Formats: sequence, structure tokens, C-alpha cells
Amino acid sequence: MSGGGHFEAFPNNSKGSSGSTGGSTAGNRRCAEISELLVFYACGEVSPAEKEQLDAHLAACADCSEQLAQERLLLESCKEMPQPADAADVTSALLAQCRSELAEKLDDLAAPVQKERWQPFGWLRRWMALRPVWSGAALVVFGIVLGTQLLPWLETANDVAGPAVNVLAAPKLSDEQLSKMAVSGIRFSPAQDATGQDIQLRLNAEQPMELSGNVNDSDVRRVLTYVVENGERFDTGVRLDCLDALKMRVDDEQVRRALLLAASKDQNPAVRIKALESLRDTSDDGAMRGILLGILQHDASPGVRIEAVNLLVRSLEQEARNGADAEESGAGHEEASEEASAAGAIRALTDLQQKDPSRDVRLRSAAALRQVGARSLP
Amino acid sequence: MAKLEERALVANAQAGDRAAFEELVRRYDRDVLRLALNLMKRPEDARDVYQEAFLKVYRNLHRFRFECSFYTWLYRIVTNVCLDQLRRRQSRPEDQAPEVSNNYQDEVGTDFFERQKEQRPTLDPERSLLGRELGAHIATAMEQLSPRERVVFEMKHYQGLKLRDIGDALGTTEETVKNSLFRATRKLRNQLSELR
Repeated sequence: MSGGGHFEAFPNNSKGSSGSTGGSTAGNRRCAEISELLVFYACGEVSPAEKEQLDAHLAACADCSEQLAQERLLLESCKEMPQPADAADVTSALLAQCRSELAEKLDDLAAPVQKERWQPFGWLRRWMALRPVWSGAALVVFGIVLGTQLLPWLETANDVAGPAVNVLAAPKLSDEQLSKMAVSGIRFSPAQDATGQDIQLRLNAEQPMELSGNVNDSDVRRVLTYVVENGERFDTGVRLDCLDALKMRVDDEQVRRALLLAASKDQNPAVRIKALESLRDTSDDGAMRGILLGILQHDASPGVRIEAVNLLVRSLEQEARNGADAEESGAGHEEASEEASAAGAIRALTDLQQKDPSRDVRLRSAAALRQVGARSLP
Repeated sequence: MAKLEERALVANAQAGDRAAFEELVRRYDRDVLRLALNLMKRPEDARDVYQEAFLKVYRNLHRFRFECSFYTWLYRIVTNVCLDQLRRRQSRPEDQAPEVSNNYQDEVGTDFFERQKEQRPTLDPERSLLGRELGAHIATAMEQLSPRERVVFEMKHYQGLKLRDIGDALGTTEETVKNSLFRATRKLRNQLSELR
């Protein structure tokens, strides 16, 4: 090949077989040491002392001089060889690009760190900003859905007759809840376990709720008695329904107190009558007779007064029965006071018979006097 | 005077003066890119080296204590980045892209008349041909050098640095650099002699 002669300028064996020293062993060793330094001598990296020694040796050694020439030729060839930097960056375009990119990165590094501020629906804003047409269409659809679906639902939610939430497992009603609630409906159904009636109360407090159970349930009973005691806040029908429910538990002191209160204070005579009817099956504890006497004197409704007479008769009859039992058992020490109370009741009935403006009341009082007089009074 | 000025530039850059830092970059970045191009051969790799090296300089400038010249410190960073990239490339030869050919200038850099001018060297044509062939063989032989030997050979013969400065740049002793240069020269000679 044409270049073959050129490559022969770099023989692998850097040591010639014959040195200027005449091929002696000592001369070869000296040349070997010199050879190690020729690489650095060729590129000017020997100390002045080494250079002096090398110059002296090279002046006398043809082989080492030849090797030095080869080293220099190799270096020159390498230096003459075109470098990638010479070719790739002729127009300095690469350098300009590098500088520009570096400047950008330095800008990024120097920029103050933006604190990530939470923006509600930031993603939605960005999405809408980039897609104005789609955003407009989406807003129109949203408006339609809002107008046709959500607003009617809200109206329904505020409706008293609307769907209620079952809060059976809810904690007990507080006095504050009771004071703010309204009973919008009450429904009775036969109990599944024959313990009485099941009651469903639809309440309208801060949020609609439905209370289910029977009159034995303390929460149900509490609501019922509250309605009866605070009759002015509830409809007549609701009060009557509540009285119907409560008559099952007249043995309960709280219930009886509520019924007596309704009998004497409720604005509606029908409610007062119903309250008195509910008390038919209860035994008189003394307090009831006093209230009945008050009703007989002050209630404007003849029907209420008649029902009070009925209850008073029952009370007197019961008292008479209890007195006979006590006499048989030898316990007659309270007779004096009981007689006085009974006498008071008789006087009240006598007054009614004579003075009540209602003929019906007068007739019923007369019948009552006959009834109790024949059985209990001497 | 120039050294004093450079010291002031470095001090200002350490104090956060962006203009001072950019002035330092402009003083040396041409040499840095040249070194990177010659070592990496591929412009995109050289560009990565340039960016990574100067960003390291920027981030670590506060650690520079003037115990050596800024130039030496900069070259230490650049050569380390180059060595890392060359080692990565050696461990993943499948990632290697074609390197820039020595005819790059003919391909993209100049027009027809420019090429004609270059192909009319004052030297005789035979020598030009021999020179091209030799250059190709030397380039092939260079590929056989280890990354460190390549860096040392490049810095010595193409950047013109003294061995002591190369040692400073590589964070090693002058003796170690001498050994690397000696091995590199021997390898080149052996490679070229095999082509005989």
C-alpha cells in the first residue's frame, strides 16, 4: 500500500538492535532508560538536568536520535490530524447554542422559588382558559342542569311533606331540639309484636326527621307529651293524635301530668275533652281531683265540664271502694281528710246541678250526685 | 493584572454577581467546548458536558478558595464530567451514536467553493493523501485509549497544558499524569505499527 512506508515511521520496537555504543549491554541499558524519557523530551516535559543528559546521549546515539524523530513525527501527525472541535464548531454556532442554554438554566436557578399557592379549581381555570368554546358550552350545560334539577330538589327538601330522614339510631332529642321542632304528621299502625301501636312521627326541626316506635319508647313518649303540654305550638289534629297515643301509658306520671295540663289549659275543648277521656282509666292521686274541680268551676265548655263530672264520679267511686277495703283491713285513719275531699267534690257537683248555665251539665251533675250518693255517701 | 482581574471576577461571582460569572464563562467556554468536543466527539455530548460543567461551577463557586487558579479548578470540573460521560459510554456501548466525522466540515460547514479551496493545499497531493490516511488511523488508535489516557493526551497535545497543570486539573500527581501519557503514546504507537 502506498502508506505502508509512512507507517514504517512508527516501528513497534522502539529499541534498535544496534546502538551507537557498539551494542554493548551497558549501552543497551542506557538506551532503554533514555527511551523512557524520549516521549516527554519530544513534548518538552523534561527537567533541565534531564535535557542536558539526553542531549549528550542523543548526540552520540543514532538509534535514540531516530526514535526521538519517530516520537516527534507521531506527535506532529497527531497534531496535524483534524480535530472534531475544528470541524464541528466552525461557525461557533454550537458555542452560541451552549451559551444560550446555559443562560436559560442560570435564569431558572436565579429565579425566586415560587411558593406553590393552593388555588381552588386551578386546574379547571387553566383548562377553561385554554378551551374557551368548550368552556362556554360546559357552562351552559351546567346552568341547565342547575335550573332543572338542583333548584326543584332544594324546594322539595324544604317542603314539610318531603322525604324525611330516619333517625332511629340518632341520639336522644335535646330540649333545644324539642323547642324548635314542629310535628308535621303522626301515623299509627298495628304493632308487629302486639305490644300496642307503632307510631311514626314526622318532625320538622332543623332538618326533617321521622321518629318511629311505640309509646313505650322514651323518645316517642317525650315528643308526645311535649306536644300535649305545649299545645299552642301544634295543630289540633296533632294534639288529638298525641293524646290517642298517650292514653296507653296513663300509668306514667309524666304522661298523666301532661294529660291533666292539656285538660285544664288547652285552647281547644275537643282536646280538653280528649285529655279527660284519656284519664278515665287512671287512679286519682289527689292532684287530679283538684284539677277536675277547677275545670268544673272555670271551663267554658259544657262538654269539658261534663267529662270532668264523669271523671269526678269515677274518682269518688274509686275512693269509696278504697275506703271499704281499708275499713275491712282496719286502716281507717285517713278517712277524715278523704271525706272532706269527697265532700268538696259533692259540693261542687251540687253547685253545678243548681247553677251551671248548661242544662246538660246540670242534668249530668244531678245524675252524678245520685250515682255517688247512692253508692258512697250516707 | 489579568490574574487580579480574574480574582475580582471570581469574588464578584461568588457574591452573586451574574454578570461577573458570565464574563468568566466567556473567557473559558470556548476552550471547554473544544476539549469536550475532542473528547466526546459528538456535538450533543459536548453540549451536555458544557452545560453540566458550568452549572457545577455555578453551584459550587462558593467552595472555590483560590488555592489554585480558576482555570485549573474549572478544568478539573470539566475533565471529571468528561471522564464520567466517557465511562458511562464505555459501559453502555449500545448508546453510542455516530461520532462527528473528520469530513464534517465538508458535509455541513462549507459550500462548494470553500471545499475547492481546501482541496487545493499548498502541500503536494500525495502528502495530503498520506496525511488523511494517517489521520484516520490515528483516530482509530485513539479509540483504544482509556478515558483518562485520552483526557491526558488531549490536554497535553491539543490543549497544550503542562503535565503539572493536567495533574491539578485531574486532581492527581504529575507522576500519575506522566504514566498516563506514556501509556497513551505507547498504545498509539503499537496500534499504528499493527497497521503496517
